[in-house]
Amino acid sequence: MNPKDQFSVLLDLVVELRNSGSWTGETHVQKATYLLQELLGLPTGFEFVLYKHGPFSFELREALERMEAGRLIELEEQRYPYGPKIAEGSASKRFRTSTQPAATFPQKIAFISKELGSAGVADLERIATALFVIRDREIAPSKRIPRLVELKPHVQIDEAEEAFRRLEQISKAATLAGLNPNPLNPT
Amino acid sequence: MTVEANALHEIRDAIHTFVRLETCERAVVNSAPYQRLRDIHQLAMTYLVYPGASHSRFEHCLGVMELASRIFDVVTDQRNLVAEIRSGIHLPETLEHNYWRRVLRMAALCHDLGHLPFSHAAEDTLPTGCTHEDLSLAIIRSPDMVEIWERLKISAEDVGKLAVGSKHYPKPLTDWETLLSEIIIGDAFGADRMDYLLRDSHHAGVSYGRFEHHRLIDTMRILPQKESEQALPTLGIEQGGLQSAESLLWARYFMYTQLYFHPVRRVYDFHLKQFLKEWLSGGKFSTNLKDHLLLTDTEVISAMRLAAGDQSAPGHVPAHRIMHRQHFRRVADITDADREIDPDAAETLASLLSDKFGEEAVFMDRYTQKGKGIRFPVLTRDGGIEWSTVLSATLKRVPTFTVEYVFVDPVYSGPAKNTVTAFREELHKKKGGQE
Repeated sequence: MNPKDQFSVLLDLVVELRNSGSWTGETHVQKATYLLQELLGLPTGFEFVLYKHGPFSFELREALERMEAGRLIELEEQRYPYGPKIAEGSASKRFRTSTQPAATFPQKIAFISKELGSAGVADLERIATALFVIRDREIAPSKRIPRLVELKPHVQIDEAEEAFRRLEQISKAATLAGLNPNPLNPT
Repeated sequence: MTVEANALHEIRDAIHTFVRLETCERAVVNSAPYQRLRDIHQLAMTYLVYPGASHSRFEHCLGVMELASRIFDVVTDQRNLVAEIRSGIHLPETLEHNYWRRVLRMAALCHDLGHLPFSHAAEDTLPTGCTHEDLSLAIIRSPDMVEIWERLKISAEDVGKLAVGSKHYPKPLTDWETLLSEIIIGDAFGADRMDYLLRDSHHAGVSYGRFEHHRLIDTMRILPQKESEQALPTLGIEQGGLQSAESLLWARYFMYTQLYFHPVRRVYDFHLKQFLKEWLSGGKFSTNLKDHLLLTDTEVISAMRLAAGDQSAPGHVPAHRIMHRQHFRRVADITDADREIDPDAAETLASLLSDKFGEEAVFMDRYTQKGKGIRFPVLTRDGGIEWSTVLSATLKRVPTFTVEYVFVDPVYSGPAKNTVTAFREELHKKKGGQE
């Protein structure tokens, strides 16, 4: 995906997340993009690694910086410990009217925003890390929960189990919505 | 009198006065991959614009090791630790502390081993998906280097993960490893950034890159980042160091605008890449370590000089442009104001010029600064923690530097001015229409 299309997806995601009541900080955008790509197969082209709060893309962070520089988004600063909220910038409207996203993108973006809109950073970290673990083919299904807890030692076993269950729910809802999610091979 | 087996050695340094290292660590500096860095210019061909900027990655990496060690000593000093993250830190005078201090120093020393000739300028000529960090990691893991790590009693993997960080290491890093990697290559005030600003500024003969780094390092602290339920240790500063941090981040902005993205410097990078694409086998650098270690700026300059004088040689045209200063000339800077009217202004102008003078006579350069690093936790005077961007109005005003230049072959720089003037008039009309 070229940078302009990436900006278009991210901008639509910011708008939809905010409409869904999400805090819409960088972590929310990171995790929602990860699910869009890895679960719903929207090819954003960002490479994700496991970082401080779960799957994270340095390229996506750079894209957000470029979007801020181009006034497509703006950051609403918050007091510590909360991170800034992301909002549409002064140049976003013109940009959105000049770009035409692929037909299925808006539906997928709206779906994932609705599913994750009420999730806090900790929930997002667990759900996205659960998907990261599932995507690692070297980890047998029976080892996924222990692996999540190993990667994120502050996550309790029951929280890890809940994260996998939630992921399965999202996947089923995506199937019902006709969004053809990538198979999860659930535990 | 005999010298102790592991004596302390001092290397004179233009920035830090002395860089100190132990005898056992000297084996790394003396290794072939590290010695190769003597012949890799830190700033590619910037010396063609700023004659003093001929310093190399060799001294930069020594400087990064020195600064990383100083930062580590300050932030792990028990008197500087906040209660909330104390349990995750290896305290001084423990085996773990000594081990990781050594790993950190060696990772800082080796973080640039994978650089290609002319550093970042040539990075595009690596095969897709490969970066200089991947090469650094491969060198750190190579048998000759592993032998040295074994003598130092440290793990090659630990050195590698701190040297390249989470972005390039194939497995997840622990919170402690992530923190140490931040000390070396962190966006806000990693040792790499501090050293290159000070060193590049010194050698180029500009003052933009200077800042109060002693004060900044003395006020650096490990502080909790609590965006999730977990308090992750991250690098921050005491409030007393905020002005030093502000001056570093502004220094970086000015260095980008005045030095790193000087238009002539950028266009020499462009011609260098043109040359390399023609000169290298298959148009790409080899990722074979043996080939990589044999190639430095010296070999490329020598080949360029020969090619410049031989019309039949691969890369003759770009080599001639570099050697005879016949580089493309900048005909337009696209500004923020231009982009407000037309976000694609640079492409539009480049396309107009290409239609007139041919695609090969036009070069459009675009770059937006990455890793601004203006937001970090600050330990306030009352013992609380607040974001730097909340406390400092100055930091919030550091712009993200974006550059868009359009260059043409010097043969057309005169006639191109008419096209640029007409383009600007059109742009102003558009602005009038929008208003």
